[in-house]
Amino acid sequence: MLEEELTSQIIDKEAYKTEIAKKYTTFLAQYPEIFSDLILASNFDFALYNSIETYDKESPVDIFNVLRNGNGIEIKPGRAINSDLELALSVSAVKKLIQTKTKVEYANLLGTFYNDPDEEKGWIDFVLHKRTQVLIDMGYGKFAQTAGILKDDDDIYSM
Amino acid sequence: MAKVHELEIKNKYTGEIIGTVPADTPETVNDKIKKVHKNQHLLREMDFFERAQVLSKFATKLRFKKAQLKDLVVAEGGLPIKYSEWELGIVMTGFKFCDWYHQFIEDKPLTGIEGEQNATIKYIPHGLSACISPRNTPISLPLYQMGANYLVGNGAIVKPSTACPLTMLEAYSTMKDMDFPGLDALNLVIAPGEWAVDEFLKSHLIKIIMTVTSSHTAKDILVRYGRLLKKTADRSMGVAMYTQPFKQFFFECAGNDAGIVMDDVNLEHVAKWNAMASYTNSGQQCFSMKRIIVHQDIYDEYTECLIKEMEKLKYGDPTDPTVDIGPLGSRRILMMMEVMVADAKEYGVKIYTGGEKIDTGEDYGLFYTPTLVEIKPDLCEDLSKAPFLWREEAFGPVRSITKAKDMKDAIRLANASNYGMRAVVYTSNLDNIEVFKDQLEAANIYVNARPMLVDITVSLGGIKDSAYPAGCKYYPQELVYGKYIYDGTPLNLEKIK
Repeated sequence: MLEEELTSQIIDKEAYKTEIAKKYTTFLAQYPEIFSDLILASNFDFALYNSIETYDKESPVDIFNVLRNGNGIEIKPGRAINSDLELALSVSAVKKLIQTKTKVEYANLLGTFYNDPDEEKGWIDFVLHKRTQVLIDMGYGKFAQTAGILKDDDDIYSM
Repeated sequence: MAKVHELEIKNKYTGEIIGTVPADTPETVNDKIKKVHKNQHLLREMDFFERAQVLSKFATKLRFKKAQLKDLVVAEGGLPIKYSEWELGIVMTGFKFCDWYHQFIEDKPLTGIEGEQNATIKYIPHGLSACISPRNTPISLPLYQMGANYLVGNGAIVKPSTACPLTMLEAYSTMKDMDFPGLDALNLVIAPGEWAVDEFLKSHLIKIIMTVTSSHTAKDILVRYGRLLKKTADRSMGVAMYTQPFKQFFFECAGNDAGIVMDDVNLEHVAKWNAMASYTNSGQQCFSMKRIIVHQDIYDEYTECLIKEMEKLKYGDPTDPTVDIGPLGSRRILMMMEVMVADAKEYGVKIYTGGEKIDTGEDYGLFYTPTLVEIKPDLCEDLSKAPFLWREEAFGPVRSITKAKDMKDAIRLANASNYGMRAVVYTSNLDNIEVFKDQLEAANIYVNARPMLVDITVSLGGIKDSAYPAGCKYYPQELVYGKYIYDGTPLNLEKIK
């Protein structure tokens, strides 16, 4: 069986507060397959922060939401009312992520920013809005692996 | 006031003093117990999910400090840096997703015969917990003990090993920096187990004693508790009435895990995993694969494969990212390895590889080379007469390998032990897999699993002398008690008004 090709749709491009968020949404739209493990209607916020301090204060410089719909993904500005989780990213991390040339390179770098975060070089984190078990059932565990955030066992410890 | 005594913490590889920490006295330990007990209500004022969220945020803070923590783990614990990644990873992942444990303690409504739901089991935190953690895991186990208690709403006093308290002190200081809610209900005690345990046992405020230690030390704690009970006996009524209340004891103890390799697997691949499972952290792991049991048809070929993998293991400076085997945690472990190998030799065993020590003459920079010893199956017939290496936990890089005739014999050998933490099996025979699952005597069975598995579902626990109480377990589940509540109000309110 052929896998259905996923599509991306960016809504209201002009509503983003920052150029970096615009660029990041355009970048993400290239790779809708990253989101293929998520069940339909799952959605999460991408929040961009200037620093750890602003993250602690929950003051992102920009935020957008990615919804997994029947065709693929829909990206729209702002926070969703009932998002499943928030993926927090430092602006410095996003600047580097959008420079990557392939999906694998993107996933590897995203994983590095999660597993070896650095205030200067870049970091990501996520805040769960729903229970872990619910998110696992929605496919987020698999998504996190595909996206490079959670490492495969073989990566975690190899002798 | 007693003079504050300071502990010098040494780098396990170089001997350099890497930190000095004030040690607790019996007085300060009791002050801490009282303070934590007094503030325990702070935890009960939050619900489970609020506490889970705090731990999740804390995991993020730790992640930002990972490089610093890894350096500490390596220096004071002697763990190779590549292993320290795993050590920190398991606790960070566990805390990040700790709300997952709610499934073990959520209210259980019960349905009666007539379909009515008047009864519920609620899970209530036991109360203040004293936790004693071992030297081989400077952060994962003490922090897991602290986190699990916090999660369910128990105050906790955690005593990390005095050989390596710096990583936990750093973690605790991170909690302070982030204004960790309810932190006054958690504290660390830096004191030797010899007397700290007695203070914990004596305190009426402490409801739980949880330790990760050798089975013999755990039994010694029970002996001490027995002596203490005896002292409190009131015989004024003609019978002994013990005034000291019950405590809950949770012991995570030794493992002497069997790892079975059958004749239907890829030998090179399994041998690679076997080397990792048996020698990671110099074999200083309770869940390490210690007794390797191999089907006779592949025994020679497999042994050759395993030795090849062992020869690839690099030992030395634990800060070197290519090093697999760091220094041993103490001279006692080095001695234990020497005694076990010498004892095995008395039985005429074959030493395939290893059996060498590097002894600096100091209490640091001690190594024992990865060692593989053949123990013939007939030596395991009578457990009381078997070599130490078979019947006791080798908490270092010495492992036994034994030939099994068939599946039944492999299971018999695996079960010929006083311990039952984990049992591991590698086979591609799907019918046999079910037999192994059913007949292996251990609380945790791993079939065709990669070693050092990082998965939130991984449980602790054991049977026989590996744990008390017996069974696989998740700490949050052990730290609460079930309260049965029957509420007949909907049925009877009108009648009793």
